[in-house]
Amino acid sequence: MNKFSKYFYTTCVYIFLYLPIAIVIVFSFNNAKHSLVWQGFTFKWYASLFHDSALLNIAWHSLVLGIIAASIATIIGTLTAVALFRYRFFGKKILHALIFILILTPEIVMAISLLLLYSFLKIPLGFWTLLLAHTALCVPFVTVTVYSRITTLDTAIFEAAMDLGATDFTIFHKIIIPLLLPAIASGWLLSFTLSLDDVIISYFVSGPDFNILPLKIYSMVRLGVKPEVNALCTLMLIFTLFAVITSYQSIFKKKTP
Amino acid sequence: MKLFYQIITATLISLTSHLIYGDSNILNIYNWGNYLPDEVIRQFTKETGIKINLAEYDNNETMFSKLKAMKKSGYDIVVPSSYYVERMSKQGMLHLLDKSKLTNLHYINPLLLNRSFDPENLYSVPYLWGSTGIIINTRYINKKKIKSWQNFWDHQYQNQLMLLNDMRDAFSVALLSLGYSINDSNPEHIKKAYLKLRQLLPNIKIFNIDAVPNIYIDEDAVIGMAWSGDYKLALEENPSLAYIYPKEGFSTWLESFVILKDALHVDNAHKFINFMLRPEIAKIVSLSIGHSTANKAAVKLMPVEFQRSHVDNPDKTIMQRGEIQRDLDTDTRRLYEKYWEKLKIGD
Repeated sequence: MNKFSKYFYTTCVYIFLYLPIAIVIVFSFNNAKHSLVWQGFTFKWYASLFHDSALLNIAWHSLVLGIIAASIATIIGTLTAVALFRYRFFGKKILHALIFILILTPEIVMAISLLLLYSFLKIPLGFWTLLLAHTALCVPFVTVTVYSRITTLDTAIFEAAMDLGATDFTIFHKIIIPLLLPAIASGWLLSFTLSLDDVIISYFVSGPDFNILPLKIYSMVRLGVKPEVNALCTLMLIFTLFAVITSYQSIFKKKTP
Repeated sequence: MKLFYQIITATLISLTSHLIYGDSNILNIYNWGNYLPDEVIRQFTKETGIKINLAEYDNNETMFSKLKAMKKSGYDIVVPSSYYVERMSKQGMLHLLDKSKLTNLHYINPLLLNRSFDPENLYSVPYLWGSTGIIINTRYINKKKIKSWQNFWDHQYQNQLMLLNDMRDAFSVALLSLGYSINDSNPEHIKKAYLKLRQLLPNIKIFNIDAVPNIYIDEDAVIGMAWSGDYKLALEENPSLAYIYPKEGFSTWLESFVILKDALHVDNAHKFINFMLRPEIAKIVSLSIGHSTANKAAVKLMPVEFQRSHVDNPDKTIMQRGEIQRDLDTDTRRLYEKYWEKLKIGD
């Protein structure tokens, strides 16, 4: 009975988490433009997706933005986490607290403040403002992820390395980075996801010449989301799954022998 | 790691082109989602060499607040509804149209020109329009029985109704059934409309505004209000739906092109609007999006069933019963909002 209730509970949680996603996948094959009742199997939304150059272009924008923002955020976030862990400097405690505050700040506050900043500095809205905003959004998440990992490291390793004459850079390069790689990878993936699905901040800081997927989908809601979007989401899901599995295989597996 | 940096640098370089958008061969349009067919954009770019950047919004409020937030938004053309044209022109956000550049303006249906929200069409050019009427499922409800908004209050439709989740649209049902204007600003009348709507609550199954067609296609509601464009989309997948113009009158909505005051590409914007006014282009747009075109010459190019349909192409007598939404003054808007909130919490 105990075993049964355990499995029952787990199944419920998984259904709760994955049923909505499964529905999107199922409806990407539904032979109806608006209806949410099953009308028959079709591949036509995938076919029309590949002919919809505008939608694909926007998806490409989102992908590029996500990759760049996640990469920059990962670099800054990792360096911040290492600095917080290894060095003593003026204002360290404040910086540490500020990072948590950034995570807890509602996105809308960040969106408005960024918009005001851009408006004040007269920066035209577009790709660069989006990139800056997304990077700023992601940095604290990377820092926290990496920092929680770095605190588990044995400081004796660094002392031993220094005893043997390693410079700070060598320690960073040869010891810290390899040990933190799983955390850095999770930080990157987390940032990429955050960037890919952010509506609130993006809405305020996007300009006319760089439209991205979450905003496009959001704008379609009123007049009906095209079924091509379901197809696109399914493809992106497969892509994400693939990315997670490969990163797990290549980084996380190596870590635990 | 090295490869990683290389990729970043390469991508950054390829993206720098986005930095300059004051470029002269560009037009920045801010439009409703899915409101401009791809093939029309492609044809315009092919003919003129002007590249179109399209950003989209899902309601007037969103669009307006975004434009207000930035002094120089960078957008050239926006497509607001009638009452937002009025509000934006009052606030000096719009550029006066140069009619000498809009040589195709005479194709527009005269019934849609010079309306109260922009009396001489100084700022706006009608694009797509339609009405907000009653939609019913004839498998469950006799079409002959439904003639007016008043029918919504019949006890037999308990928990079956869908009302649009839009303050102005929802209030228009009550205002019209009481014999008032949809733009009424008399506090007494607004209060009466609120009380009337409160009586309707037991009949309402859902307030909804997103993806309206599938509610009626999947028969989640069998009677309710809908925009004529949504009715047309729903009809494609559920042939037993019918659309009725209520006898008390109805609201007509109209989306128009306007050029923003701070537009950087005013000349291109005029070229684009004039291009969209061509009957053959207007025809493509209307057939692809499903809303009625404001272009009278385009209607003549449409398939016969379109021309005969009272939904797509209502005649003059029907059209004159329609009332267009106007901008309300701030106090009136606040009053409506107060009652709307009270209604939503069931007070």
